[in-house]
Amino acid sequence: MSARASVKSRYDGYRVMALPTPPSRTRATLVAVAVGIVVLVATGSLNISWTHLGDVPARVAKYLGLMFSSPNWDKFPRALTETWRSISMAWLGAVGCVFIATPLGMLAARGVGPAWLRFILRRIFAVIRAIPEVILALLLLTVTGLTPLTGALALGIAGIGTQGKWVYETIESAQVGAAEAVLAAGGNTAEVTRWALWPAVAPALMSFALYRFEINIRTSAVLGLVGAGGIGSMLANYTNYRQWDTVGMLLIVVVVITMIFDVISGAIRRRIMAGATTRANISDVD
Amino acid sequence: MAEQVPTNTAANFGPSATTPWSIHMTDVSVTYPNGTHALRNVSLSIDAGEIVSIVGLSGSGKSTLIRTINALVPATSGTVIVGGNDVTQMRGRQLRELRGHIGMIFQSFNLADRTSVLNNVLVGRFAHTPTYRTVFGRMTAADKELALRALDSMGMIEKVWLRAGSLSGGQKQRVAIARALTQEPSIMLADEPVASLDPPTAHSVMADLGRINAESNLTVLINIHSVDLARQYANRIIGLREGEVVYDGPAAETTDADFEMIYGRPIQTNDRVGAES
Amino acid sequence: MTVPTTAPLAQPATPLRQSGLSGLPPRPHHAWRTVGIVVALGAFTTLTLMPAIGGIQLDFTALVRNWSNSLPTIRQLLRPDFAFLPRTIAPMAETLEMAVAGAAFAAIVSIPITLWAARPSNPNPFTRQLVRFIININRAVPDLVFAIVLVAMLGVGALPGFVTLFLFDLGVVVKLVSEAIDSSDHDYIEAGRAAGGTQTQINRVTVLPQSWTLYANQWLYSLELNVRISAILGIVGAGGIGRLLDERRGFYAYNDVSIIILEILVAVIVIEFASNALRKKLR
Repeated sequence: MSARASVKSRYDGYRVMALPTPPSRTRATLVAVAVGIVVLVATGSLNISWTHLGDVPARVAKYLGLMFSSPNWDKFPRALTETWRSISMAWLGAVGCVFIATPLGMLAARGVGPAWLRFILRRIFAVIRAIPEVILALLLLTVTGLTPLTGALALGIAGIGTQGKWVYETIESAQVGAAEAVLAAGGNTAEVTRWALWPAVAPALMSFALYRFEINIRTSAVLGLVGAGGIGSMLANYTNYRQWDTVGMLLIVVVVITMIFDVISGAIRRRIMAGATTRANISDVD
Repeated sequence: MAEQVPTNTAANFGPSATTPWSIHMTDVSVTYPNGTHALRNVSLSIDAGEIVSIVGLSGSGKSTLIRTINALVPATSGTVIVGGNDVTQMRGRQLRELRGHIGMIFQSFNLADRTSVLNNVLVGRFAHTPTYRTVFGRMTAADKELALRALDSMGMIEKVWLRAGSLSGGQKQRVAIARALTQEPSIMLADEPVASLDPPTAHSVMADLGRINAESNLTVLINIHSVDLARQYANRIIGLREGEVVYDGPAAETTDADFEMIYGRPIQTNDRVGAES
Repeated sequence: MTVPTTAPLAQPATPLRQSGLSGLPPRPHHAWRTVGIVVALGAFTTLTLMPAIGGIQLDFTALVRNWSNSLPTIRQLLRPDFAFLPRTIAPMAETLEMAVAGAAFAAIVSIPITLWAARPSNPNPFTRQLVRFIININRAVPDLVFAIVLVAMLGVGALPGFVTLFLFDLGVVVKLVSEAIDSSDHDYIEAGRAAGGTQTQINRVTVLPQSWTLYANQWLYSLELNVRISAILGIVGAGGIGRLLDERRGFYAYNDVSIIILEILVAVIVIEFASNALRKKLR
């Protein structure tokens, strides 16, 4: 504090204070060291020449230039057709997935289905969820052949796991009051579902269905890469032939279409959820 | 339940390291982007070392007024001269350096709940520390010493390593005052410092502010809506109504009728805090 | 013999409909909107079923035929070959290494980028919107698309896989954490400004400690995602067990395919459990 010796602080002539002991940091340090070791081992064992990692941005930049400095728009009409194929895959897959997963998910919800059925259904959802979609698709495509239809099928089946989980979670977190009212008036399970559960969960379920479509659009491009058709197939072909100007155009198409659908879907989902609250307010009797 | 008031207070404060500043506002108006005229042609002079209460209803412009002094809210027109520096013309690094000399505490304490009390108090050294030191956590020993002494002077030293979020309201405000003191400020601004505190705690925090003013001769400005606290702990009362100064006089001579004029309505029970327990 | 009938329930004296309520507000008509939505959905679906513009041909007979032709395949798939396990260890290890390394590097880089993308920590709207826009573009590219393009640029191996995971995780973490930061309260920032601090100082000392759990949550989530994704990156040549999977599939060795899938399942489930347990402790 020699630099401050000449300046009087308000604390000059101050008595010594009783500083409590700082808390122990050993546990946090041990965890940090453990994580650090795991990361270092993983990184070191990888068959990558880390010293040349610095070259990567330059190489990538070179290819980015090849792709985007003058994208090849000649193939654009075909790209659009293939894009619609991918979107159709995504849409039909989403429709199929929602039609199957929604009733199954409802049955898997506490308060709707019996315990043994709920258990089985939830296990099935969990297993489907654990399998990466692409592998599920590959399995299906191996058996049924590589076509956009089977791609749609694969998307539909792969989505059941997550979609079913969202359905039963939504139902279980909905207000129980309405269901109780229907039961008290003498209704059975079907009537409870129709009059109490459905109005409460319908907006959320529709929102999830639309979100499934959003996810499927991305996955349909991936399925195309492994051969199911659509924009992914076109992309894989032109990348393999190293025709970078076309690849650039295709990437632009993929990004723009995905972003457009994200924005539209997001807006619709927001309107669904907002509409749900206004309708609830209107029907509140006072 | 009354909070522990720090004892042995006279020994906690030595002569101030910095000279207190005066505040001169000339014809200051503030209009927000949404069209609200928060302040209209306000002119005030506050001498160095005064302790002033600013009173008025919500919406009278108190918060805006206090924030024009350190330019947290820019004045749309007029000048604000603080300790001889024209705040309205300052930008960037100059402004930050100036703010380093003005300590401020807030109604909602504005502490970072998830980090330690010490780190919160060290916020007071931001303007006096180069950015790289803060980023790498290498605060100087002198800064840490200042922070610890400031905490001790507010009686909060046992809490130094605790998470700020685990403290009570009164304790948090004391930590906030310690944060402001760590700046070694020439002015202390307090925006409704006790509005969220219960009566005994409110009295003791106001007493802390009074003590800081008495012993260090620091200029203190307090926004407050409680009539009795305003009178009890300040020397001078400035009243705002709808963005204009409508009253300016010694606290000892301010009557209930003056308050009713400032508020534009009769005094209600929640305008008073009441006695300490 | 007369059948005993229960007495009819008492009817209200004046049925409501006949009492002429004058204060009844008009019933809101949703019918048109519902019809509109159904028509729109139907039209959309029809368009997706038209092969001429790129729609999908609904040919279920071919599907059923293929299914019956592949019974031997299915039988093979249901009999995983455990003797093949040793050959899968090295590729599986590479898969996990890519997952960890990708998540770790993305975690480090995500700290400053997230702060640039969130409003409390970056008051400048231009740089903030720019960062968000770039991240949105990043997120619009599916993971395997990154992989296939990077393989063509950088060659086959773990490098394009690592870079793919890094970029993918960055997109996930930055978007989710910056949105979480945006939606919570940050009163202490005003105190930091009043004390004369720079935005960097404020971020380092106050915003970051407040956001650690948000970050940690998403880092763990990105690790989970990574294990799933890196298993398939090999299919397009980006390293990991995917390549072995594709190779075995090419040889119709479905017993081997089956054991590989089982391994992947185990890895995914283990990581999910571990990650969930850790995230619960973070709350």
